[in-house]
Amino acid sequence: MSNVLRPYLAAVRSTLTAALTLENFSSQVVERHNKPEIEAGGSKEVLLNPLTISRNENERVLIEPSVNSIRLSIKIKQADEIERILCHKFTRFMMQRAESFIVLRRKPIPGYDISFLITNFHAETMLKHKIVDFIIQFMEDVDKEISEMKLSLNARARTVAESYLSTCAVTNFHTLANADAY
Amino acid sequence: MEGAFRKIDIDVYDEDVLAEEELYQPNPRGPAEVLSETKQKATAVRSALAKGDVSGALGIVLQNPPYGPHVEEAKNTNMTTLVSILNSTKSSEIPNIVKSLTQDEQDTLMKCLYKGMAMPGWGDLSGSVLLGWHEKLTEVAGTGCIVRVMTDRRTV
Amino acid sequence: MILLESHNVIIQTTVAEKLAKPSALDVQFVDYDGVRFHLSTPNSKTVLLLSMHIRCWDELVRYGALDVLKREYGPWLSEQVEPEYNVSLEIDLAQAPQEGEDRDRFIKSLSLLKRHALAAPFERAFIAQRSLEDGASSDHGELMQIHYRDEEAIYIQASADRVTVFFSTIFREETDRIFGKVFLQEFVDARRLPALQNAPQVLYSNRDPPLELRQVRGLKDSEDVGYVTFVLFPRHFTNPDVAYSTISHIQLFRDYLHYHIKCSKAYMHSRMRHRVSEFQKVLNRAKTEVATTERKTVSGRTLVSR
Repeated sequence: MSNVLRPYLAAVRSTLTAALTLENFSSQVVERHNKPEIEAGGSKEVLLNPLTISRNENERVLIEPSVNSIRLSIKIKQADEIERILCHKFTRFMMQRAESFIVLRRKPIPGYDISFLITNFHAETMLKHKIVDFIIQFMEDVDKEISEMKLSLNARARTVAESYLSTCAVTNFHTLANADAY
Repeated sequence: MEGAFRKIDIDVYDEDVLAEEELYQPNPRGPAEVLSETKQKATAVRSALAKGDVSGALGIVLQNPPYGPHVEEAKNTNMTTLVSILNSTKSSEIPNIVKSLTQDEQDTLMKCLYKGMAMPGWGDLSGSVLLGWHEKLTEVAGTGCIVRVMTDRRTV
Repeated sequence: MILLESHNVIIQTTVAEKLAKPSALDVQFVDYDGVRFHLSTPNSKTVLLLSMHIRCWDELVRYGALDVLKREYGPWLSEQVEPEYNVSLEIDLAQAPQEGEDRDRFIKSLSLLKRHALAAPFERAFIAQRSLEDGASSDHGELMQIHYRDEEAIYIQASADRVTVFFSTIFREETDRIFGKVFLQEFVDARRLPALQNAPQVLYSNRDPPLELRQVRGLKDSEDVGYVTFVLFPRHFTNPDVAYSTISHIQLFRDYLHYHIKCSKAYMHSRMRHRVSEFQKVLNRAKTEVATTERKTVSGRTLVSR
């Protein structure tokens, strides 16, 4: 882990750990319903203060806790057009597989690139610290993956351009060699 | 329209409905009073900082912070004062300063750190400074401090 | 395979096969840019009919495609054109060259049918450049337009000291557009390499057509159109061999570019697949193992949960 990223991830880790104090809570608006209060938003008293952790304007995490669920949204660093499109493709790819990523939300909340929704049922069937590990690992790797994809795209573009143009350039040496003979 | 009655928000007429203000004790002081007090604190902090007394300055600014609605100006002033303290502290001094704070002060500081991170690019805020403080404060005050920030409705 | 080949592999293999062992045949296949081929033996097993449909045929004929094809194929070029196709070659297998290098060359030349048809405007431009250089009246030759795809075209113009080739190309989705930009930027930058100093100059513009194309009617004005310009100097086409390879490569530029954009996307996809499965493993570690030990009562009966 790079040294600049460490305090950021540490802050996300501690905040997420603090927020993951979830308990079973039946809806007090609709009888016999039990839904994530953070998504339903029906009763103010069970929603807690949302917290933001940010490195700068382009990299931030929003954690919205409630009594039985928390929603964590990540805005991934996107320096230019290429990173933006790669990030979009990657998050879209993941969100289409949301059902296998149990805690992943199908849509990010506005202003963020990807959102996770962790409910008390997830916290009961999974190890809490491992869920936190997963989120942290995701944040770490997604940056790495996007920059690697960008590098590989540039490398490919370079090879493609050079091999195309070199077919013309090589024949040129041939011309120059012939020019002496004429 | 026959079905118009279906769109009426009946929750408005519910006497038991919970209002935002009922979630916490309102600030007993009026907005004007809070603002003048915050300005006094800002001056006190400046003189403390001039003497190099960082933990003293931090103590002043974290005492009775403005909270609740209608005191935006006082909140901003307080935040500016706090940020000036945070920025002028050496990172090696942070652990000792944080340790010298009372629990209430630590909670308030944590609230301010999160508030600062929620508005990146505001004033001369710097993400890395806030994250540095956050890390040290969490080491000293623990996760409980963060939980108290989440649950306390008296947002700064 | 980084570079695309300009000949058609299906023609090559099928004709080679039939030359070795003639038999009845009727195949239809396609090439880049929606070119359709039909290879059949309508009358006898030893006479192959190879027909091609290319959507810009009328334009190509105007720029002398028939002359080029006559030069390349001579007697093979059929008078009767098969319906629904633009040009037909009648190949009498009995008269084909004997097995060996000659035959290979013959087969290869058949498989280059599309390339030869598309080469006509280029050759004409090269000739025009020479006459302009010798002091013809105007500065520029005619701007030749070849609409070889539905919304994309090649424009060729000769000037006194150069021949300029313009491609208009469409990027259907945003990813293609951005990837295309990266690729084309590399084409522009690659010329800085000492080994590629002699390569044709490449220019790229998004949305705005180059000055020379401004007066062309019917250009699509949208964000997903890109224009690529190749500047060919006499050194790229004075020598016939060089001219030949230049034409072959330039023709396929658009296909080459898009082929590699698609390849990149496929590669990104496989990477994402891998990365996501890694994430899946990390998340699976969080799942608690349900203890499945058999529980027994004192008397030896097994407890079963219902």
